[in-house]
Amino acid sequence: MKNDYEAVIGLEIHVQLNCETKMFCACPNRPGDEPNRNTCPICLWLPGNLPRFSEEALEKAILASLALECEIQEESAFDQKVYYYPDLPKGYQLSQFHMPLAKYGCLTIADESGAKREIRIRKVHMEEDVARLVHENEGRTPVSLVDFNRAGVPLVEIVTEPDLCNPGDAMEFLKALIRRIRTSGSSECSMEQGTMRVDANVSIRPRGSDELNSKVEIKNMNSIRNVGDAIAYEIRRQVNCFRTGEPIVIHTRLWDPEKRVTSPMRGKFEGPCVPDPSVPRIVVAGEYLQRIRNLLPEMPEMKAERFVKDYGLTREESLMLSAERGLSEYFEAAVSCDAPPRLAAQWISAHLLPTLKERGETLSTSLLTPERFAGLLLMLEHDEINSSTAKEVLKRIVESDAPLGEIVEQGGYRQVSSVEELEVIVDRVLEENISAVENYRKGASKALGFLMGQAMQATKGKANPLRLKEIMMRKLE
Amino acid sequence: MQSEIFCHSEISPHSTNGRGLLANLRVAVQSGISVRGWRTEAGCQALQGFIALEDATAVERLKLAGARLAGNTHTSEMGFGLYRDTAPKAFREGLVDIALMTDTMGEARAAAISAGVCGFKPSYGQVSRFGLVGLVPSMDCCSILGSRLKDITNVFNVIRGGDDRDPSMPDPVSPLLNASSKRTVEHVTAGVFTQCLQNLSVTELEAFRAALSRLERTGIAVTELSFDDFELFRVAHHVIGSVEASSSCGKFDGVRYGHRAGGSKNWNTMYLKSRAESFSMPLKAYLFQGAYFQFEDYAAFEKACKIRSVLITGIQRLFDDLDILVFPTRRASANPGSANTLETLYHAFSLTLPSNVTGQPALALPGLAPFEGGDLGLQIAGPLFGDERLLRIAEQIVQDVEGTE
Repeated sequence: MKNDYEAVIGLEIHVQLNCETKMFCACPNRPGDEPNRNTCPICLWLPGNLPRFSEEALEKAILASLALECEIQEESAFDQKVYYYPDLPKGYQLSQFHMPLAKYGCLTIADESGAKREIRIRKVHMEEDVARLVHENEGRTPVSLVDFNRAGVPLVEIVTEPDLCNPGDAMEFLKALIRRIRTSGSSECSMEQGTMRVDANVSIRPRGSDELNSKVEIKNMNSIRNVGDAIAYEIRRQVNCFRTGEPIVIHTRLWDPEKRVTSPMRGKFEGPCVPDPSVPRIVVAGEYLQRIRNLLPEMPEMKAERFVKDYGLTREESLMLSAERGLSEYFEAAVSCDAPPRLAAQWISAHLLPTLKERGETLSTSLLTPERFAGLLLMLEHDEINSSTAKEVLKRIVESDAPLGEIVEQGGYRQVSSVEELEVIVDRVLEENISAVENYRKGASKALGFLMGQAMQATKGKANPLRLKEIMMRKLE
Repeated sequence: MQSEIFCHSEISPHSTNGRGLLANLRVAVQSGISVRGWRTEAGCQALQGFIALEDATAVERLKLAGARLAGNTHTSEMGFGLYRDTAPKAFREGLVDIALMTDTMGEARAAAISAGVCGFKPSYGQVSRFGLVGLVPSMDCCSILGSRLKDITNVFNVIRGGDDRDPSMPDPVSPLLNASSKRTVEHVTAGVFTQCLQNLSVTELEAFRAALSRLERTGIAVTELSFDDFELFRVAHHVIGSVEASSSCGKFDGVRYGHRAGGSKNWNTMYLKSRAESFSMPLKAYLFQGAYFQFEDYAAFEKACKIRSVLITGIQRLFDDLDILVFPTRRASANPGSANTLETLYHAFSLTLPSNVTGQPALALPGLAPFEGGDLGLQIAGPLFGDERLLRIAEQIVQDVEGTE
């Protein structure tokens, strides 16, 4: 029965830009500080003050828009979104409504079957965040407190076309969007920490029809998973309304992550948007735009393709390495120090990242520079150490910034590859284990493993395994 | 110290030992213009007890140029209209040489005529709005009243020019047109709108015609021309002005400063009561009208904005052939000093508000258009950023009139 209907989903995503200052004044952009510490006459909107639009906010907003393949508009402008609430120190929010910064973007996502779908982005516009309210309802007199640290913090709002049709698509879209904006360097996009907030507009219609029915806005999801769950719940709820003939009216619902349901919040309020006379028109064109374009790093999807082509990585390896900017930069830095690319890719994911995670470190905080990591891989590649000692060395070089050679020498990790040395060891092992030698010669191939183990032990695991086996086989014949 | 004329008056006014271009000039500012440490209440309950933290840019520059700040004058609520404004009285009692006022619909020019002095509203964007409490951000202009045009010119040169605290000023601040132009103040051509003349009463027409004849006697060529949209200035000003006023007064909520109503059970009631008590008529009606256009008839506001840009282009084009436009400053039938309903305000200021809609500079000269019971005030307006030339033409007119009479 559910298959008789399909969902039409659009997302509205607020992303806090990681600027040094607020959007219209020089106050630090640190909403988490002690309440009302980061305020000034402008963001408190004392009479006589005028907004001073931050160039850094513009630059980061442009970077985020370019990361979403939007067309930057040559002219854009701020409007006043009028509503009266104590979180808004001037009775309106400065936001771009009539003339947004960027339009017509898109992101390609792959659905469960791997088929690619293009999700259009209608617009990206800039706006200022509002203050934070704390209502204390305990005690005889209820108290409402306002923290203006967040008032004026720079945001972009990203609005998609209603191109998404299931919760899975919405989640994939958000993951792709986060990857891109993080790569652009303009925001950390953390739903958990509140630097990204997602509202979803959901409506349903009979499958195959192209009508657009009344949409319901859902809010208060604090993880990507919650977005998926809230949309799935809302689709089921609306299908049920459709079946029972209950009308669906435009309104806003809140997701309750405990009860895992959405419940109505308030009637949808559309305040007017009046052009602001005090913030000058924003003109983005020519050399300025080109300069910012040049600042935009390569996007993860393009990077993944390049890694396959240039370094011969598998698709999985390249996707893994390109998802995070820091990770891909580390990989490429190691490769530029002559680390063999595939070996580097494998060692990063199989050994380096797990080791760092165990130690509670990250690539950027680690003592292990890409140069030293490349040095380790080169020693492995050149048979100077074997892979089991290489794992040991890795543990040492993340702990200390001593030169790699020193760690290897002092730890006695260097692989024993000299034929003479190995022959002496093999001879001794064969003499000491005559019965095993006899067993082998009678055809018990297991005995070879035992003899190899003895010889490896005698070198404290440092023997070049291939060369050791070669000598062993020759002596046993 | 408070008085009938000043909200705050200085016993020993600031001065920098008599040095600077404006040394010893006694200046009053309106109480909606910030002076650090002074009560800056803009005649409004919403700002009750508000002490300015910083000087307005204009005030800061006046102080640096050696002017003596005498005090701040009482104003109508948010400087909207002139009822309760005491700047004219400060002149009549000989307490000041210069006064600064915000001109939103012609207040500074009308106050000047009422005081018998000159009133100059510069081009929008020539004087920083930083520190002006303000009401209609796209029209408010810090304006200068003074008995001598020379003083007005000096004050203007001191306070004008770019300010990074007011990014809405053109960047870089547009050079004043004609400042280095070869066009002299001889052979000035003045235009008078037929639609303006048609609108005048017999008394007004008689006084205005007399003033035009005086101009002609000084050698200025006066031509009558048609400007069909003349009546639309008032509509555009009213709709856009009320919308912007409604937005700018949104910040007065009693949360961070100003009047907060007592005895409220929750923030919502506190908010509503504080705002209700903060404003009185006619400003309150104006704010309601603005909110009406914002919430209920946005299309009317959009249309007013379109009309405004048509008016701006239409007026600016006239200056290809003209040097100045001439109007009376006030109506004979409505005293700008006592108008206190929206209807009477818009009637009383109908001849000054066009320059607030277009942003062009305008200057009111006293004594040239007297009528039975008062002075209409002759008003001349120049092209946007043609401030310097307009002031020179005015000086020429004053000199020539004195010479011919």
